[in-house]
Amino acid sequence: MTFSIQALAAPSRTNEPRSTGSDISVDSDEELQAVSSVKRKKHAAVITPGELVTDDPQWMRGHGTAATPGSTAILATVAGTLLRTNKLLSIQPLRARYTPEIGDLVVGRIVSVETKRWKVDVSAPLLAHLPLSAINLPGGILRKRTSTDELAIRTFFSEGDLLVAEVQSVYQDGAASLHTRSLRYGKLRNGVFIRVSGTGGGGSVVRARRQVWTINTANGGGDVDVVLGVNGYIWICKHSRGELVASSEEAKKMNEITRMEEAVSESMYSNRNDEIPPQTRREIARLTGCVKALVENGIRVDEEMVMAAYHASLEPDGDDVPMTMDYDEGHETHEYLGGSRGSRVVAAAVEATKG
Amino acid sequence: MPPSTLLSPSELSYLHSSLSLDLPIRPDARSPTTFRPLVAETDLLPTTNGSARLCFADGSEAIVGVKAEVERTIGASSTSSDVFARGEDGDGDTKMQSAEEEMNEERRRLARGKGQDSWIEVTIDMPGFARDDDGVVVFLAQMLQEGLVADEGLRDRLWIGWGWHWRIYVDILLLTTPNSYPLPLLSLTTHLALLATRLPAPISRIDEDPLFNDDWDAAEPLYPPSGSAHASKPPFTLLVISVEDNIFFDPSREELAVADAVCAVTVGTIDAPVSSGKRREGTPKLRLLSLRIIDPPARLAAATSGTEAEDDQGAWRPARGGMKRAVVGKMVKVVLEVGGVGEEVMTGLEGFHDG
Repeated sequence: MTFSIQALAAPSRTNEPRSTGSDISVDSDEELQAVSSVKRKKHAAVITPGELVTDDPQWMRGHGTAATPGSTAILATVAGTLLRTNKLLSIQPLRARYTPEIGDLVVGRIVSVETKRWKVDVSAPLLAHLPLSAINLPGGILRKRTSTDELAIRTFFSEGDLLVAEVQSVYQDGAASLHTRSLRYGKLRNGVFIRVSGTGGGGSVVRARRQVWTINTANGGGDVDVVLGVNGYIWICKHSRGELVASSEEAKKMNEITRMEEAVSESMYSNRNDEIPPQTRREIARLTGCVKALVENGIRVDEEMVMAAYHASLEPDGDDVPMTMDYDEGHETHEYLGGSRGSRVVAAAVEATKG
Repeated sequence: MPPSTLLSPSELSYLHSSLSLDLPIRPDARSPTTFRPLVAETDLLPTTNGSARLCFADGSEAIVGVKAEVERTIGASSTSSDVFARGEDGDGDTKMQSAEEEMNEERRRLARGKGQDSWIEVTIDMPGFARDDDGVVVFLAQMLQEGLVADEGLRDRLWIGWGWHWRIYVDILLLTTPNSYPLPLLSLTTHLALLATRLPAPISRIDEDPLFNDDWDAAEPLYPPSGSAHASKPPFTLLVISVEDNIFFDPSREELAVADAVCAVTVGTIDAPVSSGKRREGTPKLRLLSLRIIDPPARLAAATSGTEAEDDQGAWRPARGGMKRAVVGKMVKVVLEVGGVGEEVMTGLEGFHDG
């Protein structure tokens, strides 16, 4: 079916009162646990900003809540689900912007160019800064930046360019300062960009051991790199040797300063894509579909889940008869991971990671 | 009109080269004619004659309410035709079928060619366009109204009797900020709302003041369902893009950004007379109502960027010039052919309405 339209899923409304203050002000701890877990299972109650969470003084307020002065009431400040850790009440937001932390690997897009720095969109409340002094300048990592570099600032990055960087520091107001002073960081090429929500919420990128890895794809696709920015920006591209997203051993080899000088050349900031065969493009598209399906179904996006979803998507699906269109003969449509096919792939992936 | 999508040169070139392959690869692995799944509901507004809500996969959402009002036809000359009508009445009483049936049939016959364009009114409300005489809003409303009035059958069905007619108000509300061309969304939602629209059944004779059956279950659908003698369907508009020689339906934002040409194709049904019994059951024949070429965003961006960026080592540049005839031809063929996209969308929408 090339055109599908589904009825709006009716929200499972129950007429019972929500598990707000009155429910969790039970005295006995065991009873409380039982009550709240049952309630939560029945309908994952979404608490809205300003809603009274509890007015019992025994609870402590955590993230996403606020105390009202002069009373013991705890009010919600974000929309989300209630999370209880012992006596601490916090609210997990349904959707949150990314809060930069030092050391985070982020993918960002340049939105403006200033005299000595770039402003980068990293999906945080404030734009991040990338100072000219925090990038690898052509001709050697340790070179001092000069006025010539300042004039040629647009040859490194200009508006719209994507880059992978690390958060170097966070200012008082929460704005991040980035750096790309490593061969693993820099301009992104040869791939596609996906935007999902960052840390926090259901389907989103979570901080993990590895944010960047290489997949040896099926169907002759070759190696494909996946960069999961902690901020929810994702880059999937063809793996190219010794380039920005270098594998660990290559990075080690590059550790000598002399080698680095050679590596950091003008080509680092080129906009030209490599030759990418259709097989690789197809696998990149499949991976994109996997990530989108994970997000749509509210599953976390990390290496484990993406790999599981990718393998699940390679399995032929019983329900989906490959259809051929009249006008492009022989092209299968079951590669599209949207709608019900996406949910099935994600379900299979979740099953696979459990076992 | 849509906010320009900020994409890096390498992303644009990757997208464009993927889409211009012989077997094109869309960024989400869809086939060229596959639509992203839609979510919809109908009959949600209790005080309208018909209403629908539709959510696109990109998160945009619209609500349409259709309201009908009885109005006195200005300048209706009933003298000459009255005689004609009475004469018909005299013949009618010999063959006594169901009196109501006969009256409806007669009304239908007499109404032919009496409908007026001004009886159908379309208004659009979009966030960000506060004034309802804003150029964009007026233009979109005009495009939708034009599709509706192209169907003589609809206009004539609004005719109640001598001196009286229905006036149809189609109120379209776009709930989300338009993040790409909103026309297909608005048009498909309107289509669903009109399919769900019913008008109270008249019980008065055509030369009397109108009187209606107060039983809502007896109300007649504005568009007779397929299978009945006068089956017809509301028109809809699809967005089609072309990249090189390939054409794509339901383009995503990224795909629109690299489109060589963007077309809005409006398709309606042929209002075939009762006599032609050759039509296949349930599939009214389609006809092309309009084909408009919209300025692709890429070209707008290119125009503003001016003479700069002449260097561009191999980066993609938007194509110059118009659309090829062959591509236009292919577009029309894929939409209109038997079992083509137009038919698929039509049956998909109708299937949703019935189910």
